[in-house]
Amino acid sequence: MVLPVVSASSPAATAAVMLRVQSVGKRFGGLAALTDVSFDVHEGELVGLVGPNGAGKSTLFNAIAGVFPPSEGRILLEDRDITGLPSHRLARQGLARTFQLVTLFSELSVLDNAVQALHRHRAGRLVSGLLQTRSYREESARWRERAREALALLSLEGLAEQPASSLPLGQAKLLAVAIALATEPRLLLLDEPAAGLSHEESSRMMDLISDRVRGRCSVVLVEHNMRIVRRYCDRAVVLQFGRKIFDGAPAEMVNERAVVDAYLGTGEGA
Amino acid sequence: MRPVHQSPAPWLLVVLLALPFVASNYWLHVAIVVLMNITYTVALCAVLRMGYLSLGHAGFIALGAYTSVVCSVRFGLSPWFGMVAAAALCGVVAWGLGALTLRLRGIYFSLAVFAFGEIVVAIARAFDWLGGPSGIANVPRPSFFGIKLDTHFSFYWLAMALAVLLVTFFARLEQTRFGATLLTLKTEPGERLAESVGVNTAAHKAACFAMSCAAVGAMGAVHSMYLLFVNPQVFSFLMSTDLVIYAMIGGTTGFWGPVLGAGALTALGEQLFSVGYWKTLVYALILMGVILVVPGGLSAVSALWKREMTPRGGR
Repeated sequence: MVLPVVSASSPAATAAVMLRVQSVGKRFGGLAALTDVSFDVHEGELVGLVGPNGAGKSTLFNAIAGVFPPSEGRILLEDRDITGLPSHRLARQGLARTFQLVTLFSELSVLDNAVQALHRHRAGRLVSGLLQTRSYREESARWRERAREALALLSLEGLAEQPASSLPLGQAKLLAVAIALATEPRLLLLDEPAAGLSHEESSRMMDLISDRVRGRCSVVLVEHNMRIVRRYCDRAVVLQFGRKIFDGAPAEMVNERAVVDAYLGTGEGA
Repeated sequence: MRPVHQSPAPWLLVVLLALPFVASNYWLHVAIVVLMNITYTVALCAVLRMGYLSLGHAGFIALGAYTSVVCSVRFGLSPWFGMVAAAALCGVVAWGLGALTLRLRGIYFSLAVFAFGEIVVAIARAFDWLGGPSGIANVPRPSFFGIKLDTHFSFYWLAMALAVLLVTFFARLEQTRFGATLLTLKTEPGERLAESVGVNTAAHKAACFAMSCAAVGAMGAVHSMYLLFVNPQVFSFLMSTDLVIYAMIGGTTGFWGPVLGAGALTALGEQLFSVGYWKTLVYALILMGVILVVPGGLSAVSALWKREMTPRGGR
């Protein structure tokens, strides 16, 4: 790929590019929800995608996550063009996501939720399954162990046998992250992981993401709480009216006139 | 995933093996009809558990029956071949129909497959080559190592063997990782989450629907051999709804739900057959009672019971 580096201000600019969003636009009928948005996410980076309501954060998130294809532009994951791929294929390419409304396999136990998340590793071998061969059962036991490890990453191992539907919101949101992480992604998209949580729960969530998730994959975090972005993210990408108005260190966001006008001018959120 | 359940098979198998030596022809007839309906219902339940209410399974039973009859009567092929062809054709057609319609949820899917069932029956009625309204008679029965299965005693073994094979298949399927994944597709959020962790949900659903329909197609072929005829009336929409009623009353989960529901009601239905409309009335009343008292079906009663009896937290 011979392409100019778009965001030179990033501290991780020397690391390999994990995600490259290239001139992405999205129109819904006559409405331009996104216009010419470009940015990179580097390996191991935690990038906050920020903007006031209606700025296009969710549209961009959904376009990257394969909910719908962008109208223009390309999206590359580690130099592979993933534009318009359906989400199950994105998962196999190493892209995982959470949902803004907490989404779990609500009829399964916490452990079985994580087991299901291992799908891309453990699918297949239906005939052995029907015969319940020894190797099939041993393999299933191994996946359960691996699922436990995924739960332990977010300190959920003590809840493994609980029904997922019984978890309070804070733990349910942690489980949602554990499910995404269990797919062993290269890039994780988190849709407002701290929204709706109490102050303590929100700090705990962000500490876990920062300490335990960041080392495993790159993370893009949709967030409108500026304090969270400033405290935890390596870099912030700010959208307004579907256009990128800032891309750089979170601490510099507040010095940027456009961001202050667009977003902070109306009060600094939380 | 859950541990493999204790199989109820051993003693049930003994009963099934002993039955023909003690039962009269009438009771063998009841047993054959019960076994066929149990198989249909168990196969239907695989689709119901996935969150899809199929009102078109009778259409696939008809497709299987007609395929096998056309093979044996029109082309003079072996009934065994007809049975395999029925399963294959039903599986392929269901895969295609499923790929188109399983995207639709709720009533839209139900109506789409209902329409398919009506189309199958309408085509059979429209073409003389397929027997028209009066159907095709003199359907040959298969032979097994030179023994023609033309008695209740001998035919029972065919119906029983196929029923055991298919019921075992679906019971085992539920225990596989594939089966566990199918269960997560029941709700729309579950399906979205499954998709996000890499499950090709459309292919999973189509495969499950195809397996279910291939199974009822194979049994439909045996059904036509048992009746010695096919006609459009046998596989009407009411048969589809009967299967759903069996599943609702028995419960869609586990081994016993569909087996009990279909078994009890079919046996009861055979008893009520001579008085015609009583069957419909009794089914309807039982269905209303079950829905109001135990919405999960009869198998939910035992699940409730088990939950009461098992100490919490243990496995």
